[in-house]
Amino acid sequence: MELEERARDSADNCIACTSCIAVCPITKANPEYKGPKLVGPAHSRMHFSDPSDYEDTLMLCSNCKNCDITCPNGVSVATLNMLERAKYFKAHPEKHTQADKMLSHNFQMADILNKIPLGKTFANLGMSIGESLGMMGMMGIASKRTTPRFATTYFRDLFKSIKQPKSDKKVLFYPGCFIDVNQPEVGVAFVEVMNANGYEVLMDNRFVCCGSPLVVAGYMDEAREHADKNVAIISEYAAKGIPVVACCTSCSLMLKNEYTELFAQSEMKEAAKNVYDAFEFLRILEEKGELKQVKFSPDHKFIYHAPCHLRAQGMGLPALDMLQEIGVDIVNADAGCCGMSGSYGFHEKNYETSMKVGSALFDAIKADDYHKVVCDCGTCRMQIEHGTDVKSVHPIQVLAKAYKKA
Amino acid sequence: MSKSDVVVIGNGFAGLMSALVSADQGKKVTLLSYGAGTFPLNSGVVDVLGYDDAAKLVECPIQAIAGLSEEHPYKKIGATALEDAVDFFKKTVAAEGFPYVGSLKEQQWVITGIGTLKPTCLIPESMQASKCFDANEIVLVGVKGLKDFYVDMLKDNLVKELGNDKKYTVAAIDTYITGRDLTTRDVARWADSEKGYAELVSQLKGYAGEGKVILVPQILGSQGNAVYTKLVKELGCDVVETTGMPPSVNGMRLRDVLLSALKKKGIRVIENAKAEEAITEGNKVTAIMAGGEVRAQKYEADKFILATGGFYSGGITMRDFGEYNEGVFGLPVQGDCVEEKWVNKQLFSDKKQGFAMAGVRVNDSLRGVDESGNVVLENVYVVGRNLSGYDFCFEHSGNGVALASAYKAAKA
Repeated sequence: MELEERARDSADNCIACTSCIAVCPITKANPEYKGPKLVGPAHSRMHFSDPSDYEDTLMLCSNCKNCDITCPNGVSVATLNMLERAKYFKAHPEKHTQADKMLSHNFQMADILNKIPLGKTFANLGMSIGESLGMMGMMGIASKRTTPRFATTYFRDLFKSIKQPKSDKKVLFYPGCFIDVNQPEVGVAFVEVMNANGYEVLMDNRFVCCGSPLVVAGYMDEAREHADKNVAIISEYAAKGIPVVACCTSCSLMLKNEYTELFAQSEMKEAAKNVYDAFEFLRILEEKGELKQVKFSPDHKFIYHAPCHLRAQGMGLPALDMLQEIGVDIVNADAGCCGMSGSYGFHEKNYETSMKVGSALFDAIKADDYHKVVCDCGTCRMQIEHGTDVKSVHPIQVLAKAYKKA
Repeated sequence: MSKSDVVVIGNGFAGLMSALVSADQGKKVTLLSYGAGTFPLNSGVVDVLGYDDAAKLVECPIQAIAGLSEEHPYKKIGATALEDAVDFFKKTVAAEGFPYVGSLKEQQWVITGIGTLKPTCLIPESMQASKCFDANEIVLVGVKGLKDFYVDMLKDNLVKELGNDKKYTVAAIDTYITGRDLTTRDVARWADSEKGYAELVSQLKGYAGEGKVILVPQILGSQGNAVYTKLVKELGCDVVETTGMPPSVNGMRLRDVLLSALKKKGIRVIENAKAEEAITEGNKVTAIMAGGEVRAQKYEADKFILATGGFYSGGITMRDFGEYNEGVFGLPVQGDCVEEKWVNKQLFSDKKQGFAMAGVRVNDSLRGVDESGNVVLENVYVVGRNLSGYDFCFEHSGNGVALASAYKAAKA
């Protein structure tokens, strides 16, 4: 059912104070971009304008949400940008590029490859050859990047071989594409941590990509289909009293907030109450005195990068707090957006802007001899490794290690 | 989440100063932020009291405070707390490498973006209009492609303010940045860069000289005063910045140095966490529920400081005439806001505005009180534009009240 309060109407709360322009990392890095205020909020108020009429720097927004974080009046600035972008592509479907299509539909490719014997091996080989021959750039994908490789065994398959103790306390894991097909080890660490806390982890392979890359590339109808599928599953588990937990802060933001912002459906708002980010869930256990206590003080120094999509969730930095509490020597980089913002930095045309945005973070990481960067977001971790050559891990991997060592 | 000694709600100037002074007292502080406060709109100078109730220019702010009405926040804060607050502020920003000049004994002057003079109290070194007073020649510098900055208008107005016995020269510089219309913040970032700075110096050099002052929009670096200091030295003549249109470069400079000071004191800042509800036990608040549309997080503390602002920031709201609301604690709001008195016919009239005077009714300890003067919530203190009894725009006292009330509340 359509909600009465819709994010798309929040444009009328904009008083044009320019706070969003002042903090927007893309505005800072790219003098072409007119800034968030002039794209989503201003343009979406032209209710009667021709749908083909659009602000020509609309495509430069990365949906990183720093505008939302800084807006004093609760305008869903980034979502308004995405809705404007969707409107444009609806009027001009022919404007979708090859890169838009590929970078937003990685989940399709991943599913196909999983069904072909040695499919992933050959795909990875193909990417290596493609990268060395400069073919990525020809397709509009950033040629200077290493495209993430498919894991030999996806998490969805790996999960079946994990032996878990049975428990009445259960959570349903939402792996998201990156953990599922690229970094299943993060999912494994999540299962270990939950098992150590007496929880049994469930998987439901009916889940589909959260849709975040589809939204950014302007495939809004497809994103809506994904939202409806996922929301139905989340609601089903809510009825059984089983919470849904994600280890990717962009996925958790999508499931918790963005579905409701983009599509304004009461079912989505209701389902969101059953979704948690991993460390949000662990913090709630801690507050109830149910979290397994551990001390862990490795000899190395760590640095933490807070993903923008976590900061936008308005719940502080639970992973950083928890790692500090258990004794890990870890500092907050506090250096703003990494510049990747999901698939944004993978576009050849955004590469330079993306690296400029990340430069302050790269400098902060390179300023000292850090063993590893800890970060809750998979694409931030890719960007960090690309920009600094320092290895990165998800905080759940650090906690899993702490439990193992204890 | 572990309990704090103090939770500050709001991260405008009053909120950040409350957090800093509290941490300076050795307290464990959590700051709940929602939006960037008014910094992007605010020139980042500290007005204490520019005009009295009769709209007469105040010469000495600390003296003039004695003549204010009993309802004015300064009367409740007291002159001593105001003096200590100014000292604290000046020490804080100086320690961050961004010193402010001025005192409570006299006004400082800044030149606005349209060339008028505005009285204020504490300002960064780069904005001292007084440097223009004795100059023989003022070089007014425009920037190609910079929006909302009109050198010819600036010149016409400045001649009226400073007189015809000086020479006024108009100059223009180019950043060679192509793309959108520029804001002062874009140009300031250009000046931060090595290449931009070199271009700035080479374009201004020809205008520098003895007895001259170079007047520029707010473009001398986006961080602190490093660009200003270097430039003055290199040109060998004074350079002065005007205030300007949002986003305010100097407002953001001030925000950045205060956030940097906060970080050094280990103050935990929770972003995008709108305070929704207070949990009370008797007449004490034990926790605030804040953040996230899906589920709020509980923030426990012994003491709470409310710095959510006035109507502009949504700290005070009014659904219908007289039906005010302070949204977090439901503290009593007072103000003569019946329809006929809500607003003067002229926005910039010689009278204070009804809507501007509305705010939380407090006693001398800055805690909210009911009509009989009884404290409503024992451990909740109110600061900045949440307070009633002053029209900051009319009297030029905004950041001064914010600073002094923050200091007093944090010390209580």
